[in-house]
Amino acid sequence: MPIRETFWNIPHWAELVQYVLMVLTMLVFTYGVFRRIRRWRQGRPERRTDRLGARLGSVVVHAVGQVRTAREAYAGIMHLAIFWGMIALLMGTALATVDWDVTRLFFGFQFLTGGVYVVYELVLDVLGLLVLIGLTMAIVRRYMLRPARLGNAPRPILAWDDAYVLVMLMLIALSGYLVEGLRIAVVQPEWARWSPVGRMVAGWFIALGDPTNRNLHIALWSSHAVIAFTFIASIPFTKLFHLIAAPANIFFRSLQPGGTLTVTPADREPGVKVWRDFTWKEILDFEACVRCGRCQDVCPAYSSGLPLSPRDVMIKLDAHIWARGNGHALAGDVITPDELWACTTCRACSQACPVFVDHLASIVDLRRSLLAQQKADARLMDTLGTVRRYGNSFGKSDRQRALWTQGLEPRIKDIRKEPAHTLWFVGDYASYSPTLLEITRATARVFRHAGMDFGLLYEAERNVGNDVRRVGEEGLYELLAMKNKAALDKCDYAEIVTTDPHTYNALKNEYGLTRPVYHYTEVLERLLASGQLSLIDRSTHVVTYHDPCYLGRYNGVYDAPRRVLEAIGCRVVEMPRHRECGLCCGAGGGRIWMQETPGAKERPAESRVREAAAVPDVGILVVSCPKDLVMFQDALKTTGLEGKIVVKDLIELVDEAIQGGTPQ
Amino acid sequence: MHIVVPIKLAPDLVEDLEIDAGGAALDRTFLRLIINEFDDHAIEQAFLLKERGGGQVTIVAPDLEGADDVLYTAAAKGADRLIKLIGDFSAGVNCHALARTLAKVIGDLHPDLVLTGVQAHDDLDGAVGPLLAEHLGMPYLGYVAGLTVSDGKCMARKEYPGGLVAEMDVALPAVFGIQAAEKPPRYVVTSLITQAMKSATIEEIETGEFDSGGAAAVERMSRLEATTHAEMIEGSTDQVADKLVAVLRERGLLAPRG
Ligand code: SF4
Ligand code: SF4
Repeated sequence: MPIRETFWNIPHWAELVQYVLMVLTMLVFTYGVFRRIRRWRQGRPERRTDRLGARLGSVVVHAVGQVRTAREAYAGIMHLAIFWGMIALLMGTALATVDWDVTRLFFGFQFLTGGVYVVYELVLDVLGLLVLIGLTMAIVRRYMLRPARLGNAPRPILAWDDAYVLVMLMLIALSGYLVEGLRIAVVQPEWARWSPVGRMVAGWFIALGDPTNRNLHIALWSSHAVIAFTFIASIPFTKLFHLIAAPANIFFRSLQPGGTLTVTPADREPGVKVWRDFTWKEILDFEACVRCGRCQDVCPAYSSGLPLSPRDVMIKLDAHIWARGNGHALAGDVITPDELWACTTCRACSQACPVFVDHLASIVDLRRSLLAQQKADARLMDTLGTVRRYGNSFGKSDRQRALWTQGLEPRIKDIRKEPAHTLWFVGDYASYSPTLLEITRATARVFRHAGMDFGLLYEAERNVGNDVRRVGEEGLYELLAMKNKAALDKCDYAEIVTTDPHTYNALKNEYGLTRPVYHYTEVLERLLASGQLSLIDRSTHVVTYHDPCYLGRYNGVYDAPRRVLEAIGCRVVEMPRHRECGLCCGAGGGRIWMQETPGAKERPAESRVREAAAVPDVGILVVSCPKDLVMFQDALKTTGLEGKIVVKDLIELVDEAIQGGTPQ
Repeated sequence: MHIVVPIKLAPDLVEDLEIDAGGAALDRTFLRLIINEFDDHAIEQAFLLKERGGGQVTIVAPDLEGADDVLYTAAAKGADRLIKLIGDFSAGVNCHALARTLAKVIGDLHPDLVLTGVQAHDDLDGAVGPLLAEHLGMPYLGYVAGLTVSDGKCMARKEYPGGLVAEMDVALPAVFGIQAAEKPPRYVVTSLITQAMKSATIEEIETGEFDSGGAAAVERMSRLEATTHAEMIEGSTDQVADKLVAVLRERGLLAPRG
């Protein structure tokens, strides 16, 4: 009967030495993990232990199932093959040891016998092959295809770390096969055909005969054991640590709506100046990063040639927290202000990250401290001063906020004086930008046409503070939010609607309001579905739709605008980068208030209009964010694509459809 | 070194200005005040000097809407003393009265440097700086765009049209009219201002009666009315010159040829 003789050919002392090695390995491993945890604990406190069920579920899906890793075919197959192959081999080895040294020794029975044993041999044999395939893919990719995102420019020494892991895995798998092959070569059990790879390896050695093969076997067995233990002991000291840090980071990830930022206690200097100002979770982020580079690939700042790579930020911060003499300020030699100010806060990076690194938490925290030291773009600081004084970024009087309503008859309700079902929070751009005047008026027209009962805050409205906050001006955000909330509290309304995704995000996720907040596309979808908004003329346009970051990635509103477009008769053809992968227009995170950085290759907005213009048949790039309209209209001019495609707000198409007479 | 910066709050031109019923003053009901832009530069210059050579910065502001904001913002930037002048500023106080009032307060502070904005858009007949210097018996230098202080002496930089720059040594104490600080006024984050509101104290000094003597009296205030359009003179340099001379003669601004 097939049976497992785990320590075949192994002298008793070697078996004992193995257990000594195992204990040593565990000691080194534990020390290594302890050392890391001690570092995390030097960060500021942050509570991340609510909703344990959801957290565990997330670990199952994303750490065990590795759903995000699998989103990319090559890297996904590669990683899953190595990971699951290695896990299976590890469990196989453990099972064999338990079978021999626990159940046989203490309880007098073995379970790896007969059919079970045969299946065990076959599965392990094949999974070992899987590891080899995955490793080959990794080697080909890293050393032959060499994608830019795997470079180690910020810390060249990491190339050794990368190589070490691949070499060790390769050695473990190969030596494992050799040990198996040599055993089969000597013993030649009748069930060897169930270990196809092992038998093939045996074939190479049979001619050497006994005792050469026995001696070879014991030599390789010892090497295999030493390599495997070294590998395990080195986990906390190499990038292998992601085996622990990644699941931990996924477990402790923020379950708040996307993009929720950390809070600086009121009595502290704003933001992060030295590394101990980071929260423990931010430090965990740096350690969990596996340097896969997916974030860099999707970063609009990186691809437009600005000096920011979210991956490099993580690498540099991780290196810094372990460096000697690291008590000094981070901004400057560790991370440059230019890097930090290049970020549009589009969240493409954290959306792509397989281990749920929250880049923005750290980036904004560092910006807070930069801003407190006036290490920021002059135009940006000017604008912040303007917002603080006038409550809007245009530097106009609040008394002019509702100037766009002039001539609309009847006058739009002043919700401060009379109740209305819907409070329309207009936002700075839609209120003040001359480019958007007609669009804001069209929005009012459509709302009226649908019979909505709505009103405005008029001059009591202030900039909502979403981008002010992401620039790192937390105090100003709080001031603005306080004023807006005070104004809202005095009004009688059932829901809020806004056309601006930035405003939407802050009102919905950060103001803590009790009444629901909708984006106008959500409201239009509802009105069209219920038949409350009737169309005169169905449109026949072929359009493509741009997902605004703060509507899509931040709030998951992808379908409503598309459904509205379809309902009014448009055919929507997607750009290559859409929905979760939509490209940022470059305006977010306060970038719209900063000076154009010289030396950039191509601005994100330009890249985006090119992408839209390249979609066959499409004549209109539809947007649902006031800032997008401004950004893209400008980009059309600078790219010379004006004749090729036009930019329209979704409301313009709806307005055409309710008025009839679609201009072609 | 003690630097004193008296500031003015002037009408914010972002808002529409209205003339009151009397026709000789601004309607102050809807008026909003903002720190005089040049005074903001004076404050910045004071902090630049403090950063370079140490010393003490005192900010003096009249008790008007927005004064606390200005003072606490200055405190967040690092001001050492904040002084608010308590008096009846609400109806508007002219430069002469302001200069006399400031002279009394600032004289007691024994400053080495007094930095004022070189002008304000509501200075009707001369800026506060020179008047103040006169009352304090100190020298005055206006339109200054940079200062360096060493060993009780001060070197002031003045910019002239056409790219000329003058550097002048001034014995201290002295009053300067700042046209521009060496760097644009800094932005201080709101949370630091909030912290300053909790920790800084504003000293209050009573001004007593104002003495507005010496000022011109306003008889009528009116909006500029757009009249006829400008006429563009075109042609070669000679043609333009001839035409210009002809136009000036026609209006009696140039003696007739002869
Ligand atoms: S948020 Fe966007 S711009 Fe900022 S680092 Fe991430 S991907 Fe780049
Ligand atoms: S932060 Fe995430 S996506 Fe970026 S390199 Fe690290 S692990 Fe990859």
